[in-house]
Amino acid sequence: MRLHQAVRFAVLALFLAVPAAVAQDAAAGKAVYDLWCAECHGAEGLGDGSAANAMLPRPRNFSEARYQVRTTGSGELPTDADLVNVIQNGLPGTTMPGWPNLSDSETGDVIAYIKSFSRFFGQGDAPQAMDFGRDPGGGPAALEAGAAAYLALECEACHGSTGRGDGTSAPTLEDWRGLPIRAADLTEAWALNGGSSVEDIHTRVLTGLDGTPMPAAIDAMNGGVVTPDEVWQLAHYVASLGARETPPLLEVVRVGRADGALPADGSDAEWEDVEAFHFPLGGQVIEIPRNFAPTVDGVWVQGMHDGSDIVLRLQWNDPSRSPDPLWDEWQVKLMGALDMDGADSIALDSLGAPTLRPADAFTVQFPFEIPEDNERPYFLAGSARNPVYLWRWNSQDGVSAARGRGMESFEDLVDDPVVGDASWADGRWTLYVRRSIQSEDALSFTDGVAIPVAFSAWDGSSAEMGKRASISSWYYVLLEQPPSSTVVVTPLIAMLLTGAFGLVLVRRAQDRGRA
Amino acid sequence: MKGLRHPFLQGAIVIAVGFVIFKYVIGYVLPVFGIASAPVPASVVFQYTLTVLVGVLLYMSAEESRWEKFREPLKRTMVDHDRRRLRGVLMVAIPALVGWLAYQNVKPSFGAPATLRSVHPAPPNQITYRGLPIELRGLENPLRHSGTLEEHVAVGRAIYTKNCVPCHGDRLDGDGHFAGAFNPIPADFTAPGTLPQLTESFVFWRIAKGGPGLPQEGAPWNSAMPAWENILEQDEIWATIIYLYEQSGASPRTWEAEGEEGAEE
Repeated sequence: MRLHQAVRFAVLALFLAVPAAVAQDAAAGKAVYDLWCAECHGAEGLGDGSAANAMLPRPRNFSEARYQVRTTGSGELPTDADLVNVIQNGLPGTTMPGWPNLSDSETGDVIAYIKSFSRFFGQGDAPQAMDFGRDPGGGPAALEAGAAAYLALECEACHGSTGRGDGTSAPTLEDWRGLPIRAADLTEAWALNGGSSVEDIHTRVLTGLDGTPMPAAIDAMNGGVVTPDEVWQLAHYVASLGARETPPLLEVVRVGRADGALPADGSDAEWEDVEAFHFPLGGQVIEIPRNFAPTVDGVWVQGMHDGSDIVLRLQWNDPSRSPDPLWDEWQVKLMGALDMDGADSIALDSLGAPTLRPADAFTVQFPFEIPEDNERPYFLAGSARNPVYLWRWNSQDGVSAARGRGMESFEDLVDDPVVGDASWADGRWTLYVRRSIQSEDALSFTDGVAIPVAFSAWDGSSAEMGKRASISSWYYVLLEQPPSSTVVVTPLIAMLLTGAFGLVLVRRAQDRGRA
Repeated sequence: MKGLRHPFLQGAIVIAVGFVIFKYVIGYVLPVFGIASAPVPASVVFQYTLTVLVGVLLYMSAEESRWEKFREPLKRTMVDHDRRRLRGVLMVAIPALVGWLAYQNVKPSFGAPATLRSVHPAPPNQITYRGLPIELRGLENPLRHSGTLEEHVAVGRAIYTKNCVPCHGDRLDGDGHFAGAFNPIPADFTAPGTLPQLTESFVFWRIAKGGPGLPQEGAPWNSAMPAWENILEQDEIWATIIYLYEQSGASPRTWEAEGEEGAEE
């Protein structure tokens, strides 16, 4: 046995030994559960806590003992280590946080109590983790084989050809309770509920996510559709589809100064060389009706200017190109499953289809003028006293400008020169917007000055409209200034002065030394 | 260790040690030992180091012989023939360093501009709740004198879970699933600087009036905190406050403590 293998074995043994060593006291676990878990999962563990219908996916119903994130076979109970893993790390992309604040013994106790909600635990042998075999490794050939396995296992039917969760089956997906469920966006691996490492992805692929449409690939593997190595290569391929970690939040969109012509549209190849900035979006949970489970969770922003015009490219993932009748069923199911917080309900026609299919929409928000001091308009679409300047786009009417005095108070600026258009491909919108830097009636951009900017997005097929949006805080755009001579001249002068001073000093010292 | 007796080396060591303390020890080493601290701003590090330099020069020049000895290596570097190589290197390196520092100051920066925000601004004496005036000064949580603690905690827990968890999180630490989308980030109720430092009336004010009710120094345009008077009843807010203190294990600041501090001012 090589040394590194020995170390790996030791680490593994330690990992497996820890949960086994944890004392499990269900009575003590009840105290922890009632304090931290019961409000979502329900006092009896039925997943029916007071706010359950504001959460999609719902909190787990422990009486069913149906767990998504396992190392055991499909339909089997999870190991204690699986439960420890979920409690400590949470389920990214859901409302379940990790609980690193619980001690190992508290975690063990609460697991014992959670298991007591179901009659399935405690029968027969303890669940055993599957044998996941050996990772044959990544690399270009593995990614190619993984891409082939992605097709062979028909992953694209739900997850889409580029992994953004926009497959043809996506609008029809539901969990075992009939609640609508998203195919994971594999390009945002940081939000995969079972973790983003190759090992995590491999385990999810092989064991499936019980209670969801995600099958266990082990059946296909045993049936000869794919080999064990190909399942590992699939995991490498999926991990390669996007970033594993949440993109860093830089508060300023750097709008570089173009040497030549600005990109003419959103598909211009020139955008490939422009730095993209990611801004997370969260549900609008400030004014009623609130959006507790938004579709769009972030936007990538790029910008350029040439001294007379500014262009922005905004890209966000949305598996549906709304309005789209293919997503009617999804929209109806979602409106029935999610607490809509008093939003105007959308009636259904005699065939059960919604009578309104909202468009997808996006807004780029600026202050109406560059603030003189720190003060800005209210970040949520401005206020009566201090309005915002908006570039509003929706998939039916295109781009227009408006003055905003609150989330439902807009005034169109018909003479505004802003233009733009958007295209949707493979679960992603690309919006291109262009305007002159100077304006008589609204914001004039000044280079070298950080100008506040904020974003919001709506997914029509999830009945998002009005206040039911995804929103961001204020960030900044900063237009690069033309190359300035002071950047070169000032350091040069400083160097020359220092050098001359040093020479004089040395010369005088030497003269005195000779004298 | 004869070299250590040389005043020049002693002076250089004192300055270097001072710099390391200001720059690293205060901000990064003290917290390792559990002492609350924060990194020192670069401009302050510069000022302090300059002060140490002046102190060293004063000490060295206080005595003629020490001053002579202190100056000797400097003088030799500037004059001696066998130090011409070192001299040449320094004549290039020092101006280059100054030029680099100057460039750092004038190069275009794409950082976010500094914005000042008071995290716990002074509360007003009076607020309105849906138009009705409420005197904040001396205001106690009325639910502390009626019903049972268990009832209030249960009501508060349900309100918190539906309304507050998306931002402030199940663990009350400001890390809810939407927290990353908001800037400033949601308040962490488990931090020693939040709930234990505040009276219940202050918390009531912050919940009832939210971000839009902040004074100018609190940057009301940035805060994603809703004005909950639009959504919740007063007793629901008071119950949520009881839940916050019970669940986080903190005790509210009392008006007596507030008065003592006020008397000291």
